[in-house]
Amino acid sequence: MSGAGSRGASGGAPGTPTGVATRLADNPFFVLGITVDASRIEVEREAQKLLGMLELGFAEAQTYATPLGPRERTAELVRAAVAALRDPYRRLVAELWARHAPPARAAAAPAEPSPSLSRHGGLRRALGWRP
Amino acid sequence: MYALPYLLLQRLRQAAINARRRDRSWRYLAWSVLAGALNGVMLALATAFVASLLVWRLWWLAIPMIAVLVVPVVADTLVRFVFVPAGFYRLAYHAARYSRPGADPSAYALCAAAWASTTGTAIAWVEARRETRRPLGDGEIAATALLAAARGDVVTARELLRSLTMIVEDHPAVRELAGEWLACDAAERGAWAELVGDAVRLRWPATPLTYLLEGIAARRAEAPGAPGAIELWARWALAPRRRVTRALVGAALAPRPAPRDGAALTGLDDPATPAPPPAAPLHRAVAAQLAFEEQPPTAADLAFTVRAWDAALGDAATQDWLARRALELDAPAGAVERALHDVAGAVTDELARRADAAQLGAPPGVVGPVGTGLTRRLRHGRLDALEAGFSRWAERRNDDQPHPPIDEWREFIALWAAYHAAVTAGGLELRRLAFPHAFSKGSNMAAWLWNKREEYALSHAISRWLLAEALVVGDAEAIELGHRNCALAVPTRLGHIQS
Repeated sequence: MSGAGSRGASGGAPGTPTGVATRLADNPFFVLGITVDASRIEVEREAQKLLGMLELGFAEAQTYATPLGPRERTAELVRAAVAALRDPYRRLVAELWARHAPPARAAAAPAEPSPSLSRHGGLRRALGWRP
Repeated sequence: MYALPYLLLQRLRQAAINARRRDRSWRYLAWSVLAGALNGVMLALATAFVASLLVWRLWWLAIPMIAVLVVPVVADTLVRFVFVPAGFYRLAYHAARYSRPGADPSAYALCAAAWASTTGTAIAWVEARRETRRPLGDGEIAATALLAAARGDVVTARELLRSLTMIVEDHPAVRELAGEWLACDAAERGAWAELVGDAVRLRWPATPLTYLLEGIAARRAEAPGAPGAIELWARWALAPRRRVTRALVGAALAPRPAPRDGAALTGLDDPATPAPPPAAPLHRAVAAQLAFEEQPPTAADLAFTVRAWDAALGDAATQDWLARRALELDAPAGAVERALHDVAGAVTDELARRADAAQLGAPPGVVGPVGTGLTRRLRHGRLDALEAGFSRWAERRNDDQPHPPIDEWREFIALWAAYHAAVTAGGLELRRLAFPHAFSKGSNMAAWLWNKREEYALSHAISRWLLAEALVVGDAEAIELGHRNCALAVPTRLGHIQS
């Protein structure tokens, strides 16, 4: 697979995770905070607005909502997103992912340790063995 | 006056311990009580004799009598409760040698020293002793495992101890230690079914602690023939570390939660559980994919996700929507097929990566774009990795410096584990494809280890494994060669063993 899906908008540094979840999080529609029905003019206008806000350091522009929780928004991501949505094929794939994604969700609370993992922790040592 | 009854008691005690090693019934308890009682009588006799010598002012005779009669009776207890906890590895070694563990006491002593090792100096000392013992046998492998445990490497320790079942040399005292470590390890992980499996197959002679943990495991796993409360408490009374194990026994005897709670815990096995069914197949596939990526992968979740994608990408409504949008967006010709192909490829890549890491096989009976691609990817990737691994292994024969025997064994064990993980995931078809290369390289290595390195037990273990595999895949030539190789008597420290 050549990576022509929605992730193509933002690229991503070599070595970053390439799971489907990450593709979804980098979806251009989520990066720009627009619906999948947005017209080309709306896409361009939203991108310009976000780039201006990011340059001025507006807090509300620093993050965007995704089905995996909030992500950091950068000017580079915004430019990549708008470039992806200008390409009809890449927009089609981005729409396919964004339209069928679960709803955006808030930041997850820190996970609590699983009680089952620590249930018998240290038993081996208590019974006279190492480690 | 003292010597004859003492020697008779010693023979009886050893017979009781040997009988206990073969048994997993109420007789185990009887033999244990008998062995303990005989131990007590031997100690009383020996102490009385030494005291008599001291009363008769024969102290010069009393000292060697203490060494000959008293120390062997208490040596094992000293090893377990004094020398090992204190990290006195040299004392543990010599006391274990002196505890009369049977033929070739150094093998057991090496394990006791490894068990007591906590520092780099101790580990180096045990390794140096191990290197002087050739060829490699179960004592050296178990000692290496216990050294790995001392370093905190539980996985290596577990793998090496489990590999003892392939070694024909069998020191019962060493196997008891191995079985006890594995039982404690399984109990710590809550792997009750694994422990029950070991007990049912009589893989290890049981120490009283192993026997207790097996009983607890049987109760926890609700295995047939699990001991009742009285028997479990009797096992507890015979085992050491009663303060620690009391809580385990109590938990094993407590009433089990209602089946409904149990079903909730194992809900991931139910294909319907990972996500509630949303309206559209593509919605369901994306939700299943996200759930699969967020949780530790299981075969059931993988199958659910693959089927969800195959249904979604083959769904007529999805294709109609794509075709309409491609037209509206003025996408180039063939955009729909390309989009479906790209999505299927991206999904397959990710599922294959995760399935490979978790050693999961492709779900059976999947025929869509994702299922077919995943099956092909997993099979080819695993076969390539296995062939490369076996080829690298066979190349070791040409290395300038010969590797220590334990390294040869560890290399084989790693390949053996990889082979079994791959064929378990890939089924008989992959096994038939993987076996010829494994057989070719494995046979060469077995012959080289036997003829050039004189590592007979290692060579025999490899030949026996190849024979077992040949029988599974039905390779007549390999079966014939395997039978010939396995029929050779294996020289060990316990004599020539014909399997």
